[in-house]
Amino acid sequence: MVNFQLWLEHTLSNVDPVATFMRTRWGWPTVESVHFIGLTLLFGTIAAWDLRLLGMAKRVPIVAFHRLVPFAVLGFAINATSGSMFLMTEPDQYLYNRAFQFKLLFMALAGLNVVVFYLAVFRRVSRLAPGVDAPPAVKVFGATSLACWIAVIVCGRLITWYRPDRCDLTQAIGFLAACIPR
Amino acid sequence: MLDPYLSWLESTAFSTWMRESTSIFAFPIVLALHTIGLGLIAGLNVALDLRILGFAARIPVPEFRGFVPLMWVGLWLNVTSGLALLAAYPTKALTNPVFYLKLGFIGVALVILKVVRRRLPTEGMAVTMSMTRNFRILAAASILCWAGAITAGRFLAYTYTRLLVDSVPRP
Repeated sequence: MVNFQLWLEHTLSNVDPVATFMRTRWGWPTVESVHFIGLTLLFGTIAAWDLRLLGMAKRVPIVAFHRLVPFAVLGFAINATSGSMFLMTEPDQYLYNRAFQFKLLFMALAGLNVVVFYLAVFRRVSRLAPGVDAPPAVKVFGATSLACWIAVIVCGRLITWYRPDRCDLTQAIGFLAACIPR
Repeated sequence: MLDPYLSWLESTAFSTWMRESTSIFAFPIVLALHTIGLGLIAGLNVALDLRILGFAARIPVPEFRGFVPLMWVGLWLNVTSGLALLAAYPTKALTNPVFYLKLGFIGVALVILKVVRRRLPTEGMAVTMSMTRNFRILAAASILCWAGAITAGRFLAYTYTRLLVDSVPRP
């Protein structure tokens, strides 16, 4: 995995046009603002849907909230793009950062939760009439999603707190290096 | 003018703890809570705005009343965490015009939310076209205000001139 991290760091650091733009006076702050606007779009629309699954606004048929999903997807696309721009500018600050590694883990869990939700229960959920409470098994998906996205936000904000130190390559051996091997 | 007060605030135990503690529960977790609160109030408000603008038309607008209390939870979470962050670096925020711009955007967004909330149609009530149009203007303004507040908030980290009351001003 450490070799993969090294390769990724090398590959990402070679996307020069992005890094050049990000290093201009207002490049980084602007993209950061966009990242937080994307966060709002993603979290707000996902939370509304999750909270409906958990029993709020019960008079609304669950499928109605499905119409807000494109905005969640838009928010995610905005953040995947802006997030990649940070990564291409300072790859070592993210790839060897425990907070970033956990952020990706929680994003993967949230993604897995969505996939299983659509494959396993969406068909049943979409037939639920207004006013009907979602079955407990479905609530688990809502709670998992909400918890994962909150964890993603927390880990994201902790990235600057867990700035990785430098270490030599032999110390970095392990499943995932949490220091910058040199 | 404000300097004596800023100096006093920065010397309080709470301010010092927020700023200098190595505990993750000082600055980092408060910052994370501030972002979760943002997601709740601005995120759910934008979802309501999008509904008013005509998206997800199958969700009855009155049903958004159910989410309003949660928006207030987000707001109070952010008033509290925001005050703690302000206590940590009062000079940094209060000497930066962008901070007041952020507060202005939030103020307008909250007034809009109050107005929209009060006029949300109740069940069975017909929504006239003009009302719908005014609603849409308010919803669009609300989205712009939240985007403005978020952008101003992010820029606080880059536009301040004085970090602490005694620090050398940045160019």
